[in-house]
Amino acid sequence: MKAWKILAIVLVGYSLYAGLMFDVPRLVILNETIRNLYFHVPMWFSMIALLGGSLAYSFRFLRSGTEGQPSNLDRDNQARSFAEVAMVFAMLGLFTGMIWAKATWGAYWTADPKLQGTAVTLLIYAAYFILRTSIDDPEKRARLAAVYNVFAFVLMIVFIGILPRMTDSLHPGNGGNPAFGNYDLDNGMRMVFYPAVLGWILMGWWIATLRVRLERLRYRNNH
Amino acid sequence: MAWLSSAQPYLCAVIRPQAIRQMLRWEWELEYRRSNGWFLPVLFAAMVAYLCSLLVREPSPTVWLALLWMTIVFSALQTASRSFSASAGQWLYLNQIVQPIELLLGKTMSTAGSSLLVTWTGLLLFGLWLGWPHIPETDASVATWPFLVSISLGAIAISATLSFTAALASKMDRGTGMMAILSLPLLLPTLLVSMRASKLALLGETPLVLYPNWAGEILMAAIPLALGGLLFPYLWRS
Repeated sequence: MKAWKILAIVLVGYSLYAGLMFDVPRLVILNETIRNLYFHVPMWFSMIALLGGSLAYSFRFLRSGTEGQPSNLDRDNQARSFAEVAMVFAMLGLFTGMIWAKATWGAYWTADPKLQGTAVTLLIYAAYFILRTSIDDPEKRARLAAVYNVFAFVLMIVFIGILPRMTDSLHPGNGGNPAFGNYDLDNGMRMVFYPAVLGWILMGWWIATLRVRLERLRYRNNH
Repeated sequence: MAWLSSAQPYLCAVIRPQAIRQMLRWEWELEYRRSNGWFLPVLFAAMVAYLCSLLVREPSPTVWLALLWMTIVFSALQTASRSFSASAGQWLYLNQIVQPIELLLGKTMSTAGSSLLVTWTGLLLFGLWLGWPHIPETDASVATWPFLVSISLGAIAISATLSFTAALASKMDRGTGMMAILSLPLLLPTLLVSMRASKLALLGETPLVLYPNWAGEILMAAIPLALGGLLFPYLWRS
């Protein structure tokens, strides 16, 4: 087993234990729910990291077909698998966020720009998966999906980037709320939060590579 | 950065104005003079506008604007989804006279032209059937020009995204239904910026306040075009 996989296990294991057992500051309204910071926020970091990976593989797929070379369908497999695992993390981030929102803001869903950003991301990648299922020729499917993936990713980032500037948000760091890490993230919490982020990104990357290898085996079985 | 240097032929592709002009003339001949293709989206916009006027009586300015944008978006969708439908023979001809980037640019320009036609028709009919939104403390005649600019820039920005997704959908076997699913989530940032610009214009804000929003709308037209310029050669290669 490679070192980064061991690191992923250690960090996620540590963040699970420390996230639930270590001492946290108890503030009004937030109380113990602040522990969700260790679980909710790393999901988004992992999602963006995996979508970034998917984008890179899509771009490499498009590059692979130029200059007389045959296009590399395995890059497409990687792009798809990374996007799939990213969507699992998006769902996890959404659900952990909804529980947290219910506890602190009083509702599962608000018209918050971050929530809208998530909804749009889910819609865009749902369209990406539907696009994939509606083309039969693998070569063509890979090419169109890769083109859409690159196009959609950039517009999604634009959306996430401009939206909080257009509307108010309940999230920290937006709409006049202080951000975590500016001055109110407890130093003890930092020691759990950053390892948790790194651990979950590595864990997500690992799951995605497993998915890639599974698809490779399936492909080899069929051909 | 090996990929960047090998992508350079695409990035630095020369766009010949004369090829674009030829394409636009070709579109004009086919769409406006020899067929009534252009009439379809206009009729669609008119129908939606009439439907809106039946469903809502004297809407508030916010509702009026939202309905107008919905009409514009779906009419533009109608326009764009037709823009890449041509017979195999026509494609053979077009691909010989223009490069992929010129094709995208030309198609975007013609889609933008049709969208503007549809938008102005929709606006006119909204004014006729739903009335101009009444906002207290402003003189309606003051807001007209900035509002028209906001709406028009928004329509152009929408066309930029739509013509790329139309090209994508035209390459698919079952493309027609996919068009809306592919493009609507991508249109959200453009729509938000345009909605804000048109709302501010409707409220009678001075151009000084509106300029950043217009710049935003132009940016939302430029981003899909730039991305399209980068990606279109890959899409069109088959």
